[in-house]
Amino acid sequence: MNKLQLSETPHWITIAHLPKWRTEQKNRLIVKIFHERESNFEEFFSLTQSEWIRDFGLTKKETYSLEKAKEEIPNNSFYAEDLISQGFEVIPINSKEFSNTLKKNLKVKHTPPVIYAKGNKQLLLENSIAIVGSRKASKTSLDFTDSIAKKASKEYKVVVSGFAKGVDRQALDSALKYNGQSIIVLPQGITTFKSGFKKYYKEIVEGNLLVLSTFHPRAKWSVGLAMARNPIIYGLANEIYVAESSQKGGTWEGVQDGLKKGRTIYVRYPNPKEKNANLLLIQKGAVGVDFKGDKVINGSYSAPEPVIEKLKEPATTPIKKEVELDNNSLFDLLKENAFSSKEIIKKLQLDWSSRKMTSYLKKLENIEVLKSKPLKFQLKNNSIKTLF
Amino acid sequence: MTRNQAETKLQTTFNLSKFYDTQWEVIERVFNGERILLIEKTGFGKSLCYQFPATQFSGTTVIFSPLIALMRDQVNKLQQLGINAKCINSNQTSEENEQIIEEAKNNKIKILYIAPERMENVEWLQAAKTMNLSMVVVDEAHCISVWGHDFRPAFRRIINLVNLLPKNFPVLATTATATKRVEEDIKKQIGKNIASYRGNLIRDNLRLWVVHVESEDEKMIWLGKNLPNLTGSGIIYTGTQVNTEIYSKWFEYLNINSTFYNGGLDSETRQRVEEGLLNNSYKCVVSTNALGMGIDKPDIRFIIHTQIPVSPIHYYQEIGRAGRDGNPSNIILFYNKKDDLALPQAFIDGGRPPIKKYQRVINVLKRERLGRNGVIKKTNIKQTQINVILSDLIEQGIVNQVIEGRRKYYEYKFNAPELNTEPFETLRTAKQTDFAKMIEYAELTSCRMKFLCDFLGDDFSTTCGVCDNDRGKRLGITITNDWQNKLTDFRESYFPVLKVESRTSKIVNGIAASYYGVSNVGQALHNSKYQNGGDFPDWLLKLTLKAFRKHYGKERFDVVLYIPPTESGDLVKNFAQKIAKVLKFPISDGLKKTRVTDSQKIFQTGLLKRDNVKNAFTFEDANDLVGKSVLLVDDIYDSGATIKEVGRYLTKLGAIKIAPLIIAKTVGGDI
Repeated sequence: MNKLQLSETPHWITIAHLPKWRTEQKNRLIVKIFHERESNFEEFFSLTQSEWIRDFGLTKKETYSLEKAKEEIPNNSFYAEDLISQGFEVIPINSKEFSNTLKKNLKVKHTPPVIYAKGNKQLLLENSIAIVGSRKASKTSLDFTDSIAKKASKEYKVVVSGFAKGVDRQALDSALKYNGQSIIVLPQGITTFKSGFKKYYKEIVEGNLLVLSTFHPRAKWSVGLAMARNPIIYGLANEIYVAESSQKGGTWEGVQDGLKKGRTIYVRYPNPKEKNANLLLIQKGAVGVDFKGDKVINGSYSAPEPVIEKLKEPATTPIKKEVELDNNSLFDLLKENAFSSKEIIKKLQLDWSSRKMTSYLKKLENIEVLKSKPLKFQLKNNSIKTLF
Repeated sequence: MTRNQAETKLQTTFNLSKFYDTQWEVIERVFNGERILLIEKTGFGKSLCYQFPATQFSGTTVIFSPLIALMRDQVNKLQQLGINAKCINSNQTSEENEQIIEEAKNNKIKILYIAPERMENVEWLQAAKTMNLSMVVVDEAHCISVWGHDFRPAFRRIINLVNLLPKNFPVLATTATATKRVEEDIKKQIGKNIASYRGNLIRDNLRLWVVHVESEDEKMIWLGKNLPNLTGSGIIYTGTQVNTEIYSKWFEYLNINSTFYNGGLDSETRQRVEEGLLNNSYKCVVSTNALGMGIDKPDIRFIIHTQIPVSPIHYYQEIGRAGRDGNPSNIILFYNKKDDLALPQAFIDGGRPPIKKYQRVINVLKRERLGRNGVIKKTNIKQTQINVILSDLIEQGIVNQVIEGRRKYYEYKFNAPELNTEPFETLRTAKQTDFAKMIEYAELTSCRMKFLCDFLGDDFSTTCGVCDNDRGKRLGITITNDWQNKLTDFRESYFPVLKVESRTSKIVNGIAASYYGVSNVGQALHNSKYQNGGDFPDWLLKLTLKAFRKHYGKERFDVVLYIPPTESGDLVKNFAQKIAKVLKFPISDGLKKTRVTDSQKIFQTGLLKRDNVKNAFTFEDANDLVGKSVLLVDDIYDSGATIKEVGRYLTKLGAIKIAPLIIAKTVGGDI
């Protein structure tokens, strides 16, 4: 982190926890300040309300809450000083140390503006896998977790998990057991993890562990935060493995969300007699894998056609298809030149209709529509690419 | 607000009619949300530069000040003016502090003084996150610079804080003593376009003298003769804690009303002495430089140093406490070219512990996180050094201090940089240069005040006209037999008291025949103990018996016990037998060790010494001591851990009084 970013830590904390602002709303403001205007928070907060409205397109309501937030910056200076002196790091979204994987996966809409962390920050930039699953997982699921963590550690991949009982803890313990590296994503504020920091002191000191949280540092554990934490785990990982899921709860919701966002998710292919929702997830579009993480082509019984294919959801496109569109390749393509939907489909070798592509592209905030016939699309401006 | 408007408000709130120009310039910039460093001598009116704006802001102004006495004074004055000012410090009960924090949270306090150490307090930090803050003031700002005379690690967190505060948030730093180098350092650390104001630092009511002497005797006799003739009351600074006591006892012997003050005294005693000083209850207080900073006494009429300080900036700071009322005050430095250079030199050389000790601390913290006592125990490094080491390691980003409730832990930081010893070397060189300048001051033949002001970076071109050199006057010393005899008599009748009393033990404060290093007693003990010199000599016996009579009078004891030895054979036993024989008390050999203890002197810390002797003693026939008074004999008293442990144990066995009698008391690390 550079000096300016460090000295603006109180501003970042203030913005990250702006009451009643959606994540996307915060990120849009950050993009405007840092990339479009090439400015910083100090300058931004020295402007008047009318300048905010005029130059940043903010609404009256937004400026009102920013005015209030501004008053809290001195308080948050005390707060930031306390965090930093206790060895916590506040990593803003525009820092080189921020996880690109997270930005790529969660995009402007869901990427948290800051990460609070302690430990080896470098792990945020490494190749990573997440292993998730039920708190009350079976022995088989825990063995699977152990096996996947072992393989990941051998391949120098960081194992991301959520520090819940069951699969999460197994993933962490196995990664450390096999001399691998791990990231814990907390379902609480980072300053409330006292016993954990005591327990994993050595692993942190030796650089094998990073503990992070995206919530207010003082936030206590809650079901809500535990649920909100799941997308962060998925977002931080290049690959996602599910050891065991029931048909409700965090893992189930998390996988649904991941599939919706177009992620490839590997689910342990279950034995016929297992009572869990693993197979259902595979049917919904996840990839069944064995203990080595290899794709199971023929399960112990033949997997039926993915259910999802049969569902005709009116507004959304079939999840399976969207999976194949990688936004990064799309942005890379549109960075230099403008293309029509048809051209894009061809270049990215997609099985989409032009109309679907057009409607998809129009929804993306960072894609500019050029008025031509046929319509052409281009990445809005290169600065966005550097942030997301 | 215009100056006129401000001065109208000044009249109604502070009963003052006008600002000085510099004051107003600073205040105007503070209103403008700027950062200012203000260097002005004592008495200029620095505090008005933040107190006035504070009364005009809507929220609370927080003032970090290291001086509790000063905070108290300021708060009293402000409250008398009807301004809601409070202070939070460790001398108040936690209930009082909590109450004040609560008021601050509710925006009821205009001016809040707090000690820098508060930045490590959880309740305060919680409060600071919710208060309505208007301004931050760093008082005694020289404390943030290692180049200054009073660097304090607790200010590090304030610097971190100030660097995080928004650019348009007003920050004022003030000090009365800063060289150009310190000024630049403060500006660099506080940053964000800070501007500085520097007034001139000349104090022309201070009459500077240097008295050249050739021995400690000459200093003591000069003072004995001349102290009663000096106008008013004042402070005598000695270089060491033990000298505060010796000089003070010497004055007591001469019926000069004095007392001593040092960091080794409990806070109640210190406060009593401070009050006594303010009320002119003493002719003089003999002190280490711990006294006086922040004591707002306008009429200190003399300040005398028996030991040359380590730099002109230390000296200027310490003498600056005299004559705040502007009336003439005498400033005297004793200078013994032959003997006085060793102490400051040792201070410079010992400024940093050896590098391998840093490594030892790093290594234990790599294995586990520890509190400070844990680090001390695991490394066997003494507390004063551990404090320096930990502070340096935090400064260099190698270690973090984590606070959990009331406990502090030290953690090694992943990916920490290597220890950088270069700043230690640079600082040492700078201190050496400053010390050379101080020696130059002592040997100076031109204006002394000009020399000090030049050193501080003042643009001051004339001379003071009142120092010994400017007036061509000298203070000298002639020693008469009469005075030499008085001093000898004092030395043979002065015995250090051993403060060991506690509520839970029947042990009473004991007496030692001498200080270990002050006379030839130490040499005699060393000779017997370590160089096969045979029993302790008879003159030691005589001296010890004299100490006994002075302290215990004609008191009778039921039994004499002695501390069983670790390595010196029967020396103490034989000595105790002789004592018992002369005093005609029964003696018992019953006190034994239950286990082999290590020699206390190998332990660098009081904590480890205590552990070394804990539950290490037993008495053969436990019932024999019920209701008995015990005279407890030993040769050397260092940390007192052994004596206290035996006292505790004998109390348990039913002894009703345990009275220590020791040959020599050490003066901190001299065996």
